Amino acid sequence: MNFELSQDHKVLQSAVRDFVEKEIKPIAMKIDEEHMIPDALVTKMGEMGFLGSYLPEEYGGAGLDMLSYAIVVEEVSKACGSSGVLISAHTSLCSGPIYTFGTEAQKKKWLPALNTGETIGCFLLTEPDAGSDAGGTATTYTREGDEFVINGSKTFITNGGYLGTGVLLASYDRSLKHKGISAFIVDLKSPGVTILKNENKMGIRGSYTTAFAFDNLRVPVENLLGQEGKGFNVAMDTLNGGRIGIASQALGIAEGAFERALAYSKERKQFGQAISEFQAIQFKLADMYTSIETSKLLTYRAACLKDAKKNYTMESAMCKMHASETATYVTKEAIQIHGGYGFIVDYEVERMYRDAKITEIYEGTNEVQRVVISKLLLS
Amino acid sequence: MKLLVCIKQVPDLESRFKPDAAGVWYNETDLAFRMNEYDEYAVEQAVQLREKLGEGTELTVLSIGPDRVVEAIKKALAMGCDNAVHVQDTAVSAKDPWQIASIIAAYARDKGFDLIFTGMQSQDRGSAQVGVTVAEQLGLACTTTIVGFDYADGTVTAKRELEGGIKGVVKLKTPALVTCQLGLNVPRYPTLPNIMKAKRKEITLIPVAELPTAELLATTTSFHPPAKKGGGIVLEGDVGELVDKVIAILKDKTAVLR
Repeated sequence: MNFELSQDHKVLQSAVRDFVEKEIKPIAMKIDEEHMIPDALVTKMGEMGFLGSYLPEEYGGAGLDMLSYAIVVEEVSKACGSSGVLISAHTSLCSGPIYTFGTEAQKKKWLPALNTGETIGCFLLTEPDAGSDAGGTATTYTREGDEFVINGSKTFITNGGYLGTGVLLASYDRSLKHKGISAFIVDLKSPGVTILKNENKMGIRGSYTTAFAFDNLRVPVENLLGQEGKGFNVAMDTLNGGRIGIASQALGIAEGAFERALAYSKERKQFGQAISEFQAIQFKLADMYTSIETSKLLTYRAACLKDAKKNYTMESAMCKMHASETATYVTKEAIQIHGGYGFIVDYEVERMYRDAKITEIYEGTNEVQRVVISKLLLS
Repeated sequence: MKLLVCIKQVPDLESRFKPDAAGVWYNETDLAFRMNEYDEYAVEQAVQLREKLGEGTELTVLSIGPDRVVEAIKKALAMGCDNAVHVQDTAVSAKDPWQIASIIAAYARDKGFDLIFTGMQSQDRGSAQVGVTVAEQLGLACTTTIVGFDYADGTVTAKRELEGGIKGVVKLKTPALVTCQLGLNVPRYPTLPNIMKAKRKEITLIPVAELPTAELLATTTSFHPPAKKGGGIVLEGDVGELVDKVIAILKDKTAVLR
């Protein structure tokens, strides 16, 4: 066993770190306050290849692997959880399924613009009444000649506000439950697409979380992704991979908060000594760091399993669950170590705490992850 | 045209340095390494020239050291160097600058490089001697501490930084060597697609024993942290005076007011 990153991964990690330090960290607070990632940053992340890390070069991706992708999301999220999830949702939930399930023509048509960040991708699964229970999808489609006509609504769509490219799940016949679902590639600038609202949220405020209505959205038949009636499989496979992205985001948020807490504990003096001299703080730091390292091992392992084309369902569920719970725990303790200052916006750990919470919820709540893990254990 | 850029991998300077067992250099355990900052300016300038000259120009990056220096080499390749030479030497820190220059010169002597770029100095040893002594050993024209660079028709025009913020302009006929200073350019970030492309670029491995190395002329006999003293400079005087002093310091010590 070898737990070292390869030299190539270290080069990548250091390149991403330098970029994040200079281009993202200084504006992370502004991104939160203004509920907006500047377009210039999205463009720069596209130029850096952050938006197509593991997609093949022939489709405009960087051609790296899943572990590289995990490192990118982690490093970006250390400074800004909003930018981290933009990359994660874009790559894992849109480019990912188009690459995995798409025809050659679909890949050639859609992936180059996604991989360079010219268009931003999203995944349209969740509905007001169908979240964890994807079989309850109420958005419907019918076929009319060479087109599918989609009607319904979607909610909580990460990156939706960019009106880029979406992978959308809709049902032919709701009584068939998950067997009636198909997946489509949609251009969200098409007629029939309406943004109902971009949600105002507790955390990851720079990231769009969008509610859509679809009123006779017409999609050419060649945009069917995978086989008709197999959309549920597309969704489940996509979420499996997506969990590695969210685990990486959570890991990064935790590491960002930990770095600040560690540094602050050495600077802050009380009773004539740095608070890091107190065992109460030392034990917190030890517990926080151990949880972070555990999350990192789980996350990198899941990414390596996917790279090795092995089954990683259990591992992606475990890393997502553990890293997200680590993120909420570590960010909360980071505030505690900062004392009153931690509650002040300028110290940034309160933002990380707010950003962390969603990682326990999206791309499968942690309750769903526990179902996945225990089912596999008992099957 | 053939270009060479020489780089060194150095520890992150925010690390905590401890003397090694012999007490003559730092202990490398637990240190994180990266490309020497001045060498990043050298790589960037070399890559810019490579891009300007286009086809028919070849840019080689060279580094001496143990296996870990390949990380710095790969970064340079991802920034745009065409190929690389790794001179494998696990004992490079025990060599003096003249010896290191002799290794580079031994490699470069019969390769016909028209222009060699190096950093002004390394961030760890800081001798600022390797670049100039490579030029000396190869008999090349040389200028140091450049903050501006242009090349046309076999002539390098370099803007040099002198003390006190004064600049000078130097022209050199190739073959030549320049050492690069902060402020010369803004090194690019290696992009992910270029990191991928760098994996396919050739890295030639040369054991240091295969290159004739000069005799050791200077030996480091002690490595130790400085005695502790009060931090910072305290400026005194009225506001006008203080402002002048701060501006003078910023001009002299930083790139903020160039």
